[in-house]
Amino acid sequence: MSKSPLSINLCGIEFKNPIITASGTFGYGIEYSRFIDINKLGGISVKGISLKETSGNKMPRIMETNAGMLNAIGLQNVGVEKFIKEKLPILKKYDTKIIVNFWGKSVEEYVEVAKILDNENVDMLEMNISCPNIKEGGIAFGTDPKMTYTVVYETKKAIKNKPLIVKLSPNVTDIKIFGKMAQEAGADAISAINTLLGMAINIETKKPYISNITGGLSGPAIKPVAIRMVYELFKTVDIPIIGIGGIMNYKDVIEFYLAGAKAVQIGTANFVNPEISLKIIDDLEKYMADKNIENITDFTGKVEI
Amino acid sequence: MKGKVVSNTKLNDKYYLMEIECEEFVNKAKPGHFMMVKAQQYDYLYDPLLRRPFGVCDIERGRFKILYVLIGKGTNLLSQIKINSTIEFSEPLGNTFKYNGGKKVAMVGGGVGIAPLLFLARYLKNQGTEIDLYYGGKTEDDILMIDEFKKYCSHIIVTTENGKVGQKGIVTEPLQKNILQYDKIYACGPKKMLEATTKIAVENKIPIEVSLDERMACGMGACLGCLIYLKNDNGEIEQKRCCVEGPVFDGSKIVWSNQ
Repeated sequence: MSKSPLSINLCGIEFKNPIITASGTFGYGIEYSRFIDINKLGGISVKGISLKETSGNKMPRIMETNAGMLNAIGLQNVGVEKFIKEKLPILKKYDTKIIVNFWGKSVEEYVEVAKILDNENVDMLEMNISCPNIKEGGIAFGTDPKMTYTVVYETKKAIKNKPLIVKLSPNVTDIKIFGKMAQEAGADAISAINTLLGMAINIETKKPYISNITGGLSGPAIKPVAIRMVYELFKTVDIPIIGIGGIMNYKDVIEFYLAGAKAVQIGTANFVNPEISLKIIDDLEKYMADKNIENITDFTGKVEI
Repeated sequence: MKGKVVSNTKLNDKYYLMEIECEEFVNKAKPGHFMMVKAQQYDYLYDPLLRRPFGVCDIERGRFKILYVLIGKGTNLLSQIKINSTIEFSEPLGNTFKYNGGKKVAMVGGGVGIAPLLFLARYLKNQGTEIDLYYGGKTEDDILMIDEFKKYCSHIIVTTENGKVGQKGIVTEPLQKNILQYDKIYACGPKKMLEATTKIAVENKIPIEVSLDERMACGMGACLGCLIYLKNDNGEIEQKRCCVEGPVFDGSKIVWSNQ
């Protein structure tokens, strides 16, 4: 049997296709199983997990903006213990790769959560050093190159079994530096980008639309920024890049590949249409057949300058 | 799901009523359900991006209705959708109003919050329940579908803040006077109205269910953008998703100061 044109190997893990649902937009996977066949997905990156259960930010937390949305959920999650006990066993019944996105308020917390997850039945770990919506942790690690190095290095050192993806923030002057830091510190892959810091104000009440004042911008509005950053990262690092940012259809996926991605994550689009990831997979299959391409990774970094 | 727009009627400068044909949806819909509606019909347009939540206003003969207010881009685009065109929406989402066999109930609606009460009234009337409707609006424009409600309700008490239609004032005033007649209260409308209605119900030990409206990105329980704060039996505050655990909640459990 010949290999599927969509199958990829990411850090030693075989994915049936490169379509992964992005953290924070697909719950713990279980939420969507009522609406779509999640067995068809390449993988699921679950809502960012922390050491302790976290209740997140005050309401209102979301606001639609032009071709995108702002969110400041604040990394609400059930905590690593409950995730392993209550969510993971259900998720494991599905035939898709499980990437556990996780975060901490300190280096020690990152290390602690990673160590726990390293011994669980999951496929990859994705460390979030780029959430713009919480004061401690998250973005503080993702916008200072030294801190990026330290937190990735310490986490990588503490785990033995799972490949480590580092999810980078676009809210920096030069993302190449952060890609380099993550690679030097031992990251097995990079995912880029997280949301862009943004703000929206209601002109009637003169108040920000979301309680956190600022929030993370996602959706098609940010795609050109994400493409540019994946392109820059591809020229800088050797480890695989997972492209994220405003993907709405298969053409967007190909564009991320040309910029340098080896896999992609679908985020906000899941909110718009729960079936969108499956449609993208179908459309990509057709595209590969029509163009007679052996494997989708043949496109990686093939932008012609 | 997809359906055909059968009518898209301008009721006045603020409100529209859209009727959509979709047997599959109608067969699944129960009073209290909502759905996410795509405001424009093109897959290649990304603005507006997210679908919009609307309560099921009524169902009849393979068709369902949504009542909407012109607010922004999404609702303005909806208002321009032509009859016979195809529109996309989710299946019926969320929980439903509960019926506990009460003999006489009050429904309290404010503004666009009247929408899910029409479907509920149809259902309760079929169960043999007597219904009084308390319907409040800012102006006469907010008072809609009275002829429809007349089919199901024994009494309809209308209030407007400008006094142009019905009694001048707010809807909780007449409710307060008659509250002891009712076995249960069902309410949907602005949060202040719901909070005041809940207070009256709780003071008189009458069960109350309210349907809440929140900004939603997904409507499916994933985005965590539509949280409602409830007090549980131990007095602890719990976060619930309006889209999955709601939109109908026991009013007496809601922490109104957090909403």
